[in-house]
Amino acid sequence: MDKKYGIYICEGCGIGEAVDIEKLGDVAKEEGLPVKTCPILCGQAGVDLLKKDIADEGVNTLVIAACSRRVLYDVFRFDGCIVDRVNLREGVVWTHPRSKYPAPTEEQKDDDNFVDHVQLMAEDYLKMGMARVKKVELPEPYLLEALNKKILVIGGGISGISAAIDAAKIGYDVTIVEKEASLGGNAKRWRKQLPGAYPYEGLIAPVIETKINDLQNYPNITVRTETVVGRIAGEPGDFLVTLKKPGDRTEFDVPFPLPDEMKLDEKGQELDAEKMHEAFMEYNKGKQDILQLDPNGEKFGAVILAAGWRPYEPEEGEFAHLGYGQMADVVTNQQFEEIAAMGKIIRPSDGKEAKSVVFIQSPGQGDDKDFGYAGAVTSLVALKQAKYLREDYEDAKSYVFYQHMRAVGLTENFYKNIQQDPGIFLTKGEVTRVSTNGGNLIIEADNTLLGEKVQVKADMVVLGTGMVPVTADDPVINLAYRQGPGFRDNALFDDYADSNFICFPYETQRTGIYAAGAIRRSMTTEEAVEDASGAALKAIQCLESVNRGVSVHPRSGDMTFPDFFFQRCTQCKRCTEECPFGAIDDDEKGTPKPNPARCRRCGTCMGCCPERIINFCDYSIDSIGSMVKAIGVPSEDDYDEPPLRILGLICENDAYPALDIAALNRLSYSADVRFIPVRCLGSVNVIWIKDALAQGMDGVFLLGCKHGDDYQCHFVKGSELAEIRMKKIGDALASLALEEERVAQFQVAIDEYDKLPQIVDDFVASVEEMGPNPFKGF
Amino acid sequence: MAEPYVIEPDLDFIKEVGALGGEDLKKCYQCATCSVACAISPDNKPFPRKEMIAASWGLKDKLVGSSDIWLCHNCGDCSTRCPREAKPGDVLAAVRTYAIGEYAGPKWLVSALKDPKKLPLLLAIPAVLFLVVGSITGLLDFTPDLSQGIAHYKFFSTWLVDMTMLPAAIFAVAVLALGLKRFLGDIHQNALAEGKTKQEKIEPVGFVKALVRVIPTIMTHNKFSQCTENKDRQIAHLLTLFSFIGLFIVTSVVFLLIYGSYLLPSGPVHGPWSQLNPIKWLANISGIALIVGTILLIKSRAAKKDQKSDYWDWYLVYLAFGLGVTGMGTELARLAGLATISFAIYYIHLILVFCLIAYLPFSKMVHFVYRTVAMAYNEYAGRNF
Repeated sequence: MDKKYGIYICEGCGIGEAVDIEKLGDVAKEEGLPVKTCPILCGQAGVDLLKKDIADEGVNTLVIAACSRRVLYDVFRFDGCIVDRVNLREGVVWTHPRSKYPAPTEEQKDDDNFVDHVQLMAEDYLKMGMARVKKVELPEPYLLEALNKKILVIGGGISGISAAIDAAKIGYDVTIVEKEASLGGNAKRWRKQLPGAYPYEGLIAPVIETKINDLQNYPNITVRTETVVGRIAGEPGDFLVTLKKPGDRTEFDVPFPLPDEMKLDEKGQELDAEKMHEAFMEYNKGKQDILQLDPNGEKFGAVILAAGWRPYEPEEGEFAHLGYGQMADVVTNQQFEEIAAMGKIIRPSDGKEAKSVVFIQSPGQGDDKDFGYAGAVTSLVALKQAKYLREDYEDAKSYVFYQHMRAVGLTENFYKNIQQDPGIFLTKGEVTRVSTNGGNLIIEADNTLLGEKVQVKADMVVLGTGMVPVTADDPVINLAYRQGPGFRDNALFDDYADSNFICFPYETQRTGIYAAGAIRRSMTTEEAVEDASGAALKAIQCLESVNRGVSVHPRSGDMTFPDFFFQRCTQCKRCTEECPFGAIDDDEKGTPKPNPARCRRCGTCMGCCPERIINFCDYSIDSIGSMVKAIGVPSEDDYDEPPLRILGLICENDAYPALDIAALNRLSYSADVRFIPVRCLGSVNVIWIKDALAQGMDGVFLLGCKHGDDYQCHFVKGSELAEIRMKKIGDALASLALEEERVAQFQVAIDEYDKLPQIVDDFVASVEEMGPNPFKGF
Repeated sequence: MAEPYVIEPDLDFIKEVGALGGEDLKKCYQCATCSVACAISPDNKPFPRKEMIAASWGLKDKLVGSSDIWLCHNCGDCSTRCPREAKPGDVLAAVRTYAIGEYAGPKWLVSALKDPKKLPLLLAIPAVLFLVVGSITGLLDFTPDLSQGIAHYKFFSTWLVDMTMLPAAIFAVAVLALGLKRFLGDIHQNALAEGKTKQEKIEPVGFVKALVRVIPTIMTHNKFSQCTENKDRQIAHLLTLFSFIGLFIVTSVVFLLIYGSYLLPSGPVHGPWSQLNPIKWLANISGIALIVGTILLIKSRAAKKDQKSDYWDWYLVYLAFGLGVTGMGTELARLAGLATISFAIYYIHLILVFCLIAYLPFSKMVHFVYRTVAMAYNEYAGRNF
């Protein structure tokens, strides 16, 4: 499009008092761009002015120098126009008060050596905004050739059935695949179920049968039992799914990626792309490559993964101190449930009535951890099973030894109710040993409420083992993606299929695949039903986003997508490997094949590409690079004591909002920094840093989300990948005789706004100590 | 290394304590608010949290023989603050009721005192006893000679009174003595097991000294006064206690005077006594104090809806109230010259006195003995309280 520029400067919110608006306008005028100022740009008069210019003058590229882009975005949104928001309010005047950075006095105005920090800062930001709009374009959506809106639900248990019903109610076609011969899953094998409705006190009959029967009311739900997923190829809105009988082997079974050691030749060198592909095909003999389409495959638009859990199976000797494996009357909660489902509770060893049962919630041995994969549910199950015994025998005694009794939400009512049963005894404590004495079991425990060391006699012992998500054993979804069939780094989530269940529940690391129920975390039936609704809605959100060619989440509605300039691609595969969402596949030559509907638009591919051939239309190597170059770097030619210039690349998800909050609180930080928001630290290409240092800037820092086990990165791996890249850039700096410390990365959470000034100022101080960049002025 | 404690919950104990007014005991989730709220709980092994745990686990042995259940004055501060409404105060009261039964015998009398349906029987025992013994011995005269004014001994001989009351008192003291012996042994064992004392044995001299040391505390109701929830009850209870002490003194003095006067050449001296006699003053003041004290107690109990008041509690307050009313009623009717009415009231009064004495080890009345012993033991054991 032909750009017609308009630069608009707001004077409100303290900007007019702190900044010399006329001088600021000259910056635009020098570039020959029209400038208008307004006392309050967001007011009616201001908005009318903007609208009038768009309508009458044909202005379509606006630089609005006012407040942060995180506020009033609806006021300054003009469809069909490129808009850049220059953050004068939060970024300049609120954080750099004139009391600290005084305006020049009349005499100082003629003093060439007087540094007016605030004015310089405002001018730089305006230049950066103008530089950016020259380099960006309006997006056009990526539309699928054929869109399929059917939803595939993997797993016919309580979660899968509930999700299917929820989606079907809204009108979507749903297919449930269940690997067993009948629906119901684990929920069908219980004597009773935890309470799921007010008053949440007593046990109820399992609801699963009602749910299964309810399926008949939905003609748009298809159920396929004894069916599993062979592979899922394609992208959201256009998944091509191979379904098969469990145990069958077909050529469209999903291939597995080469193990790392097989990627090397005899000399330890990495194989070239074609050899690697050969090795991959050899390794997956009998299976087709991921890019090979199954002609008999079925099309789906989104997938709900509700494959559920299996009971934990202790390894041999794992709980020997608790007698498991040696004493027949020591069982897991699953085995106890099986006994309970058959009738009155009897001892496995001799079939006698078990009237005294100890429920152990933590294996002990020095730490207070519960059994693996245990959670609130296992606490509640212990209470439930303790109640079974009391229902069976008037004089029964149930003991629960726990380190953690988790009864969250309204299940507290159930806990209270159970606690009030005179024959149920609860105590925190560490069970140290289970032994036998004749026909009885002796349970010894330490640090209980009743004393340091206690003993209880019992007929049976039940271990509160956990619910293992089936994704621990098998990828289940079997994605025909180059990165592999399952979710990456799932160990970070103890094998639960999730990406971040606090910030982004249901969203997995694969766009279009939404997890529900016990595969996501151990949960009760009631929670699973609620979870199913969440996942169903996410699946629908996905379908109703890809149909318009926009990103699903977390950049919901973003119409841009990565554009590859393939002529210059060197087939290095870094984009394929680094994409946190497996959005990119590559062919046998290593040429990337992007799948835009899988993409979440984080720009990690753009950040990693050494050839810099991946760009978004409004966010590119060039657009950010131009902003960097627009920053004025004062040298000794300008001032006797030129101020430092430090670039901050700020993650726009958490760090940038935190900076805005700091500004709202009028926290102040150094005026030597210039910030550029980025989609994710993963999108930071090292060329920007090199450019910044080459033009004489004294330091660069990245400010982004926490990474590691408790990462907060909205794109899972962005800040972690950035950290790796920053380490590598350090070597390059050293070869240029620049200190590695001139480039740094800091982690910040969205609520840590109060720490930001310190982080910024400390870095500025450390750069000051190193002295100015020796390349300055060249 | 300490021997492990073998947990053997007694389900019947839990049910019984529940039935005795501690039905919320299982609600406790061991937050210890009660022990913090309690103004009189010792720093070392404070109550009532540990009692709540033991009660909810049915650990009878840890409770019945513990001195701590008696250190509690049931002021209700803990119950009011309990976040789970487990009512520790009521639970301890129920455990005390249970413990009283444990140390008393015969057991049928233990259960009779807890059962309102058995009240007529308990009252009938003295009523019939007086009639039978009085008729056989002729010491009960329904047509006494009242030419020299109304004199109750002519209707109901002093001999008959003591012929029935003394054996009742001896029975009560014997039952109590046997119970106390076990009680003291048990609380000492319990204190040793729970590390509440460093004293290995109970030395009689030291124990008596400790007993003497706690008497002022009891007489001033120093502990009771630290309660906040039931401040009003403290005054009432103090009045009642002092009236009982006063009446005990009066009874003892009169007993000695009557039987001592048999040695006088002029022959035995009988009542009624002159209103100018200091003993009479004490009797009248105590009688009025008893009525006022018990009325206040009844009022405060009735007003406390959040605190349990069972038949067990009402039995005692109304018995004490009845004693005061019938005692003063007898005197007033006599002064009014209503002989028949005065005799009738006197007969009822004696029935109540018999109930007080004979059923003492089985009723809540005995709390003054156990609590005094427990407080003395606590003092002896060296726990701050």
